[in-house]
Amino acid sequence: MSKRKVKDVHRPIGECITQVQQILRERFCHQQLPDRPEGLEAQYKHLLELLRRSAIQGESNSVLIVGPRGAGKTMLLQCVLRDLLQEKEAQKNLLQVHLNGLLQTDDRIALKEITRQLNLENVVGDKVFGSFAENLAFLLEALKKGDRSSSRPVLFVLDEFDLFAHHKNQTLLYNLFDVSQSAQTPVAVVGVTCRLDVLELLEKRVKSRFSHRQIHLLSSFGFSEYLQTVRTQLSLPDDFTDRGFAQDWNSSIQTLCEDKSVEEALQRHFNSSKDFRSLHMLLMLCLSRVSVSKPSIKPADLLDASRLCLCDAKANMLHGLSILELCLIIAMKHLNDVYEGEPFNLQMVHNEFKKFLQRKSNSMYNFEQPVVMKAFEHLQQLELIRPVDGSSAKTQREFQLMRLMLDHSQIMEALQKYPQCPTDVKQWAMSAFG
Amino acid sequence: MIDSVCSLCVSSLVISVEGLPRPTIIIPEQHILIEGDDEDNPYVAKVIRLFGDGDGEQMKAVVQWFVRVSEVPLSKLKLLGREPHPQEIFHYQGRICDDEVNVESILRPVQVTVACVHPKVLGHKMCTNITTDVKSIKFKNYFSFAVCLIRNLLDNQQDLNSDGEDEDEFVPSQKELNGCSEEDEDDGEEEAGLDSEEEILVKKGRGTTAVFRTPRSKQKTHSLTRTPRKNPNKKIMPGTPRTPHQATPSIPCRSLPTRQPANILEEARARLHVSSVPESLPCREQEFQDIYSFVESKIIDGTGGCMYISGVPGTGKTATVHEVMRCLQHAADVDEIPTFHFIEINGMKMTDPHQAYVQILQNLTGQKATPDHAAALLDKRFNNPAPRKQTTVLLVDELDLLWTRKQNVMYNLFDWPTQRHARLVVLTIANTMDLPERIMINRVASRLGLTRMSFQPYSFKQLQQIIMSRLNKVKAFEEDALQLVSRKVAALSGDARRCLDICRRATEICEHSTTNPSATGLVGMSHVMEALNEMFSSAYITAIKCASMQEQLFLRAVIAEFRRLGLEEATFQQVFVQHQALCRLEGLQPISVSEGLAVCQRLGACRLLLLEPSRLGVLQRVRLNVSQDDVLYALKAD
Repeated sequence: MSKRKVKDVHRPIGECITQVQQILRERFCHQQLPDRPEGLEAQYKHLLELLRRSAIQGESNSVLIVGPRGAGKTMLLQCVLRDLLQEKEAQKNLLQVHLNGLLQTDDRIALKEITRQLNLENVVGDKVFGSFAENLAFLLEALKKGDRSSSRPVLFVLDEFDLFAHHKNQTLLYNLFDVSQSAQTPVAVVGVTCRLDVLELLEKRVKSRFSHRQIHLLSSFGFSEYLQTVRTQLSLPDDFTDRGFAQDWNSSIQTLCEDKSVEEALQRHFNSSKDFRSLHMLLMLCLSRVSVSKPSIKPADLLDASRLCLCDAKANMLHGLSILELCLIIAMKHLNDVYEGEPFNLQMVHNEFKKFLQRKSNSMYNFEQPVVMKAFEHLQQLELIRPVDGSSAKTQREFQLMRLMLDHSQIMEALQKYPQCPTDVKQWAMSAFG
Repeated sequence: MIDSVCSLCVSSLVISVEGLPRPTIIIPEQHILIEGDDEDNPYVAKVIRLFGDGDGEQMKAVVQWFVRVSEVPLSKLKLLGREPHPQEIFHYQGRICDDEVNVESILRPVQVTVACVHPKVLGHKMCTNITTDVKSIKFKNYFSFAVCLIRNLLDNQQDLNSDGEDEDEFVPSQKELNGCSEEDEDDGEEEAGLDSEEEILVKKGRGTTAVFRTPRSKQKTHSLTRTPRKNPNKKIMPGTPRTPHQATPSIPCRSLPTRQPANILEEARARLHVSSVPESLPCREQEFQDIYSFVESKIIDGTGGCMYISGVPGTGKTATVHEVMRCLQHAADVDEIPTFHFIEINGMKMTDPHQAYVQILQNLTGQKATPDHAAALLDKRFNNPAPRKQTTVLLVDELDLLWTRKQNVMYNLFDWPTQRHARLVVLTIANTMDLPERIMINRVASRLGLTRMSFQPYSFKQLQQIIMSRLNKVKAFEEDALQLVSRKVAALSGDARRCLDICRRATEICEHSTTNPSATGLVGMSHVMEALNEMFSSAYITAIKCASMQEQLFLRAVIAEFRRLGLEEATFQQVFVQHQALCRLEGLQPISVSEGLAVCQRLGACRLLLLEPSRLGVLQRVRLNVSQDDVLYALKAD
């Protein structure tokens, strides 16, 4: 595949493949930042200007970055910070505090984390001393002492901002926004969230103190841009050591993207979500098939990966069930048909199963009640069925009401692929009436 | 305890002093110590007259008060023009002061020696008004300073005018130079006596010999600094490290200075920031006047009272009160009104309602205490008569956050001002007008009283005036643009913060829209419109427009299912059937259940849909968080 050219540095193919794997994996798994955020130029400029003013002029600001998951909110913020910190004036002044709503689950922890990251006086080593009340008073005192022209501006980044709104009284948010609206230490509060209704979560006093700046990342890019992103994400950079290999790789990527079936598969992905994380997942699966013996991505790889991404999890679980468990599932499906989704219990399912057996002369599926019970419990453990809410544990297990957590289409699909499924069971499943 | 004649005027009385075997006789013209807030630092006074209270049950004394150095406000202390001796006391001539005390509060007699102060030390100005017996200096008709030194009496000394013997040795400046009283040869004996007395006092008070941070023991530690310490400082105990009390919380300083605004838009932006304090508060003159006269009258009368201020966020409640306080403080500085103490607490800035006590106490006295202890101390302070009390003005912001089930915090806050000796003015701020009726039990609401004030949301004219006054002749906005902003905000909330934020954003938009950064035009209608849209328009419709194909289909399926069921709620399973049908209709490959669930979850994360927890799988119920019309409008526009 790789035609080696004389004029360039030649590397053994194994080394090249290792490098390709490394570069691309960094892109897909480590969220490596692009040089410019694609398609988000306006938002990038807005945020950069805002943070620059905070860092250089000491202006207090608050802003929310809102957008669906995988739209590039954190990427945008990181890009802005990276470019901002390249300016010497900003780098020397700006203090940063990064909080995450999933880690700092209440204000007590959040305050300790802020104090630690700001390295205030009550920090010894990695520990913060003092009670919750003392910490709050201390931090507020510290922020109050500063003023616009003399103290270093502090950037607060609140990831999963909506979770902070669930803290008691929203004390932290109130105080951060209050500082940002008063002549104290200059702060810039940047919230990152995927909830569109985040402002409604804020209490009216907190809301009034928030500047109402929102940066929405709602990109309406089309499929051609999506395809272009796939191409650039898979392409090797120009400064790759073996230039010949890089050219071969890039041209193979070009042909891959022009392939009809690949385009169809990508279109399907695009239709289902515009999220770049799921795209990275797909490309990662393709990349893992690249080896020394197969140094490029073939359309078949991408189709396989796409199939793997789109397959149904529950239907796959059905493939691993025993015949008895499968029969019970089918019996449940018939019960659902008859009773229009009303919950059922083990006894009903067993009766339905027995009706099926009576029509058959051979008794190869004649199981004892305890065995059926065991199979039923296994299904419950797999969460293919779940007990109806509110039914207490007092009722006997045979009579506990259950619901099926599968769609009919999933059952039928699983039956098609089930290895060596007996024909009569299949027919029973297809038949309209049990 | 009291041995005296039951007449109106009494010549002497006998009290027993703890630590002394014999009872002590107190007669007029003697200096005494009187029980006060601080156990280790009792008040000093001179007895003028002793008398019985009508029926003779209650003995009272008319006294002339002295103030300790630690009690003199810092601003007044500066007028002294020199470093005072820690034991020094000053003659007090405050206008507002009970000069009658109950004799039970007299602790013991004390010897006061008058030091002859060298005119150079006192400063020229002060020496002009030295009076007869006690060398006092009248100063700005508020305080008159008498330079004296307190000495404790161990035995009952009759000699009162003890300003004879060691006048010269007690020049405070000389003491300062020596730095250590025990080394002073001339009064070594008496100072030793003082120390033994001190020990008795300490043992009585706390039962431990720990080092206390009282002004008097400060003198001791002062001398101890030269000798090696016997026991290490108690505060740095290993094992239980606490926030260091001496820690000065601060954010590090900038290494590079801030850049000044370069053009007119930046200038305007800086002025429009909510934090920039305007010279005056326009449109709140009436409210300002009302609050001012309320607080001023209370301060002048030396009484207490409560006021409740309500108004929606961003109507200038806190700003107005701060402005009032600034003006009153200024008036107090030029001696138009008596000095007062301003304390501010905020319900949102504390972790628990009971922390209010801690913060008030810390602001008043600098002490740190647990909430219960602080409440007890404050109770004592406000309920008991004490001399030389200044009025305390307490601002309680976000009052509703101080609500507890028993409402004892609110009760105490409103009860203290009603006490005769409290001299406490409480200004409370909250958002709702009927807060007292809604959340307070009767006895709390009744104590809060009916002095109420409500801040109306700003009208568009007022908002316009606010912006104009802030801009202060910096011409950055077109007239129409300002009017648009103020009308829009007035119609929505009347929140001045919102108004200023929009204007600020508009200046940014204006700055970016022009290509040439040096020649920036005025902020026009279009810029303001854009800023308004950014801040007030909901993002739901754009979000639906930008959603992926399957997400849009799912929303349509949800609406179709709702229409079929006639309900506003459906399970995922039901919606999914519709979704599959729609997929076939659109000529798309039907998606699997897992994929459908993923689509549903993504919509749920954005809160376009409201979902049950995802562990319910296909059984979870789905609701729309947007109106159906909005969804249809957004999907049709494609």
